[in-house]
Amino acid sequence: MARNPIRDQVAIVGIGSTGFSRDAGGRSSKALACEASIRAIRDAGFEASDIDGIVGAAEPGGPSPNQMSAALGLPQVTHFASPSPVAVFALVDAINAIFSGACDTLLLYFAYQRLPWNSRSAAGDPFRRHFSMGVTPLPESPDPAAAYAAWASRYIHEYDAPREDFGRVALNSRAGAARNPLAAMQAPLSMDDYLQARMIREPLCMLDMDVPVDGADAFVLTTTERARKLTPNPVVIHAASVGLVGTNDEDQLPSLRRHGQHVVVESLRAKSDLWIQDVDVFFPYDGFTIITLGWIENFGWCKPGGAGRFLEEHWDDKAGCAMIEGRVPINPHGGSLSEGATRGSGHLREAVVQLRGDAGERQVANASSALIGCGGFFFNSQGAILRRL
Amino acid sequence: MSERIDDAALVERFSYIRIDHDTKHLYRGWLEERLLINRCDDCARFHHPPKPICPSCWSSSLTPTQVSGRGVIHLTILLHQGPPAPDVDYAKGPHPVVSIELEEQEALRFTSTVIDCPLEDVRIGLPVELAWIDRFGAPFPVFRPRETS
Ligand SMILES: [Zn+2]
Repeated sequence: MARNPIRDQVAIVGIGSTGFSRDAGGRSSKALACEASIRAIRDAGFEASDIDGIVGAAEPGGPSPNQMSAALGLPQVTHFASPSPVAVFALVDAINAIFSGACDTLLLYFAYQRLPWNSRSAAGDPFRRHFSMGVTPLPESPDPAAAYAAWASRYIHEYDAPREDFGRVALNSRAGAARNPLAAMQAPLSMDDYLQARMIREPLCMLDMDVPVDGADAFVLTTTERARKLTPNPVVIHAASVGLVGTNDEDQLPSLRRHGQHVVVESLRAKSDLWIQDVDVFFPYDGFTIITLGWIENFGWCKPGGAGRFLEEHWDDKAGCAMIEGRVPINPHGGSLSEGATRGSGHLREAVVQLRGDAGERQVANASSALIGCGGFFFNSQGAILRRL
Repeated sequence: MSERIDDAALVERFSYIRIDHDTKHLYRGWLEERLLINRCDDCARFHHPPKPICPSCWSSSLTPTQVSGRGVIHLTILLHQGPPAPDVDYAKGPHPVVSIELEEQEALRFTSTVIDCPLEDVRIGLPVELAWIDRFGAPFPVFRPRETS
């Protein structure tokens, strides 16, 4: 067992979300982040003066922690930080800050907005025109988004994987989104729809890539000791880790069998009392379908190259989605593919919702632990295990 | 290393790329149509993209070394839409992007496009060799299918 003194010591006591859409109208990213934050603080039963830490991640043009503190009128903050925008980076910073005593009660927010380079309608919004990527990348630039398509080609080559393997990930997410009022994409999706969707970065098509949205998620975290005064069974972070291998440049990864996800899995497994046979709900990140196939395999649900077959074998035809061993759903909120491109905060929020028993028609009976594999292969692989005490 | 063109002129010539002190040798090589990959003087390992030290032994004694340009396709993408470039017309068909595993060292890869190759032949395992095209008035390294004996 690896050293993990933070195990179960920090709790998530408040959640808030704006929900997600292709266009939140005339509202700024900061306005959405404020709405989600106020919901989360009120959900915890706290007020502004209870918050002494603030950690957040936003798209370009989104609010920084100090701007959020100013907007929310937080009287005094002793820890603030803005980690890279994939959810578990910020989660790890938040729990470390609380556990170390840097702060006691922390607001964790994530703000998303469509940008001129990923949304035609955003490009037409005069207030978003100044958001720039700087130098335009070359078509041949191995940047992370294109690189997932490249490694998908390798996956297909090495495992002789049919497109349906990727399609099942998309269908699974869409079925979940249909049961989630916060989700952006709820129209039913069939395998034929998937197979006929427009190719963007072949072998990946439009439905293999998450959907840019406007919206925000927020969480309030505090010590488990304080959380127990609010509720007898708080949701706590049992283990969390990020992972990186040395050769993490997108096109230089050692192989599909050695990258950041493997480091995360080994680290989480060594830190956790719980593993895949114990968890009640599973959140493999789905910013690209290839990432989800990777998480399913790398957590050990099946052998490398077997994720598509695994989804098929565990498919619940009636529900239109996978249900592992008839018991464990995958991204029941619709994931990044269909709830919206939340870079993992949606996965984290749904984990809390499920563990609190508040997921309505999506609820997993008596869910007591959740496994999250967040981010992709290169430099944002990360994971967490949450449980209800 | 050629220093025939100074840093300011180099940046000007490749205004579409972010160049820094660690990568300037790579792009100076392009101007001479030579593909230069960083090689460690102490342990002889190559690495790419260029770093200030050798990731294998931490030596800062590195030589940008001309490679043969021979390799095989390791990863492929067909871009049906994407960033613009003067020689790329997505309306005419998808633009291939390939990561080539160079013959000098296992898992040493260089990403570019492939020319003179029907799209159906752009596949993992295809032997290729280096070629040069013009992009924005400067040489740009690409690959084309290679005859193998
Ligand atoms: Zn060396």
